[in-house]
Amino acid sequence: MLEIKDLHVSIEGRAILKGIDLSVGEGEVHAVMGPNGSGKSTLASVLAGREGYEVTSGAVTYKGRDLLETAPEIRAREGVFMAFQYPVEIPGVTNMYFLREALNAVRKHRGEEELSAGEFLKVVREKIGPLQMDRSMLKRAVNEGFSGGEKKRNEIFQMSILEPALAILDETDSGLDIDALKIVAAGVNGLRSANRSFVVVTHYQRLLNYIVPDYVHVLADGRIVKSGGKSLALELEEKGYGWTEETAANPQPVGV
Amino acid sequence: MVAVVEDLNARLRGFESLRERAAGEPEWLQRRRRPALERFFALGIPTVKNEEYKYTNLSALPQVEFFDAPPAADTSAAAYRGLGGFTLRFDSGRLAAADGEVPQGVSVRSIAERLRNDPDGLESLLGACAAFEDHALAARNTACFEDGAVIEVAPGAVVEEPIHLVFAAASAVSNARVLIAAGRNSQVRVIESYIGAGKYWTNAVTEVYAGENAVVEHYRAQLESVEAFHTGCFQAVQERASKVSTFSLSFGAAVARNDINTRLNGEGCECALDGLYAVKGGQHVDHHTAIDHVMPHCNSHQLYKGVLDGSATGVFNGKIFVRRNAQKTDAIQNNKNLLLSDKADINTKPQLEIDANDVRCTHGATIGQLDAAALFYMQSRGIDVERARNLLTYAFAADALERIRLEPLRTHFENLLLRTFADKTEDRQGVTEWRP
Ligand SMILES: Nc1ncnc2c1ncn2[C@@H]1O[C@H](COP(=O)(O)OP(=O)(O)O)[C@@H](O)[C@H]1O
Ligand SMILES: [Mg+2]
Repeated sequence: MLEIKDLHVSIEGRAILKGIDLSVGEGEVHAVMGPNGSGKSTLASVLAGREGYEVTSGAVTYKGRDLLETAPEIRAREGVFMAFQYPVEIPGVTNMYFLREALNAVRKHRGEEELSAGEFLKVVREKIGPLQMDRSMLKRAVNEGFSGGEKKRNEIFQMSILEPALAILDETDSGLDIDALKIVAAGVNGLRSANRSFVVVTHYQRLLNYIVPDYVHVLADGRIVKSGGKSLALELEEKGYGWTEETAANPQPVGV
Repeated sequence: MVAVVEDLNARLRGFESLRERAAGEPEWLQRRRRPALERFFALGIPTVKNEEYKYTNLSALPQVEFFDAPPAADTSAAAYRGLGGFTLRFDSGRLAAADGEVPQGVSVRSIAERLRNDPDGLESLLGACAAFEDHALAARNTACFEDGAVIEVAPGAVVEEPIHLVFAAASAVSNARVLIAAGRNSQVRVIESYIGAGKYWTNAVTEVYAGENAVVEHYRAQLESVEAFHTGCFQAVQERASKVSTFSLSFGAAVARNDINTRLNGEGCECALDGLYAVKGGQHVDHHTAIDHVMPHCNSHQLYKGVLDGSATGVFNGKIFVRRNAQKTDAIQNNKNLLLSDKADINTKPQLEIDANDVRCTHGATIGQLDAAALFYMQSRGIDVERARNLLTYAFAADALERIRLEPLRTHFENLLLRTFADKTEDRQGVTEWRP
């Protein structure tokens, strides 16, 4: 599904990612953990195609195609979805309109019929239930005036509407209380399937109690310094990130 | 000196037909027209040396007189069928067609016809609001207009159905003239549309007299040809507790200059001056507003939004005068601009002169670009970048249309807006859903 090979990324000439290797197979859930500033969002943003990042070396393939050469909207239509750490407010464009526009762009790309407002409403009714979102959020401008938790829920709602093949969740747990966290996790778990992969980026182990990963990677100073199974997350919780930073000084390749 | 007089005489000869026509007009009007013409010659077409026209170059106007008549305007769409109400069409300022029924409680007539048949009652109104001492273009219109619309609302009449005046350019220069006189406790809604094809100049004057407690809702759709010049002057005088709102939609013309002035002459008045301008290519649009708070306890509200693309340029100048007596004035002024290209430019300037001490006056002006984060967010959901730009631009501009209370007109303007931003998939369904 996704192959990242020796990815180096700079922002304004400063190296942020310093050789990332990551392979995500179909249906797998990978957690990427790391302290603040380790480059988690940078990795997610580069995968989604945000501007302002310079890939100095390395390659990323998605479904066998060069992802980095693909425009962000095409990536999205091909099934890449990033849930933003900081979802953006779009005054004047309602959530409902925005989502239909997005879904129809994706459907058109797949050669499917675009949905009318009525048909789209059916899809929305079906998907909104599990997320326990207030219906009024659909009529409001995208993320405008939403609380932190509402914004995160809205990201997952968008994901469930667009049904991506690869979902990258950037700190979807931050700012959520435990009830909201459970709802969001249930939303994600409901989308897990044999042909859908997830990269779950998080600072805390907490989320991984609810979204149980197949693999855990630890990012420190732009490198993956440790990879392992789900138990690695617990180990990390116990020992803290300091434990991995020692390793980061002398990085050793670790097999998954 | 002799040369100057001869020059003036020569120029007056060019306006000979005016005098012949004026000969049949009431005395009082002739007495108004002559000084207007002289004032126009004395002031001349404003140049960029005039502080009020510093960024708006009208130097090409004197030549427009010699242009051939422009091709006929497409008046088929201009009636805005679906808005309801009563429509009058003017070709080059002269009444050409009428459509629909005149609503109850209001009289809508051609100025020329009214002057011919029963000019009584017009003397205190026609030319009474539109001062021309310092305004060459209003002076010119007052000297030259041949016809136009006079809308008189009977005291207490509430006229829901809009009255629509369509001004189509049919000669090199058109003088459009509108007079709205709303009696005590009356209500009226008037739409003016300006359309045309090719190169020409429309010089329009609208006078509004709002009697005590009257409500005047006025809309102006300036959709002139992109080669045209449009100068428009709106002047209102408001009596006690009256409400006047005027919305200026300005999408057309190569050069457009809108002067919008109101004088709050009684206590407890409200006025709302709002507008949306959207220009591209080499277009230029200028809004100059002036609100004169003469009396206490009046509110004024202004929101002008603008979208400028290509190498288009714009001007917003908002004057608020608060006279010594005008305590408890509440005045808000906002001008927000979106620049879609590096070459587009806007000059925005609030000008507040406050002589009273117990007032609240706020103003704000912003100039911004499309939000890059929002654009990426939309792209990351699969939305084409061009489409994303159009959506964001639309959202910015449509916000200004919220000020329009006449629902079908707002929808009509929203559709115009969509077309202006070259939306490939014009989607009316989406338009209604866009509204928050
Ligand atoms: N737009 C930016 N401009 C400059 N530096 C940035 C920018 N975005 C991130 N960085 C820097 O890159 C590093 C990694 O940031 P980020 O990827 O956001 O980390 P994380 O998500 O793991 O907290 C930090 O040192 C941060 O300051
Ligand atoms: Mg981050």
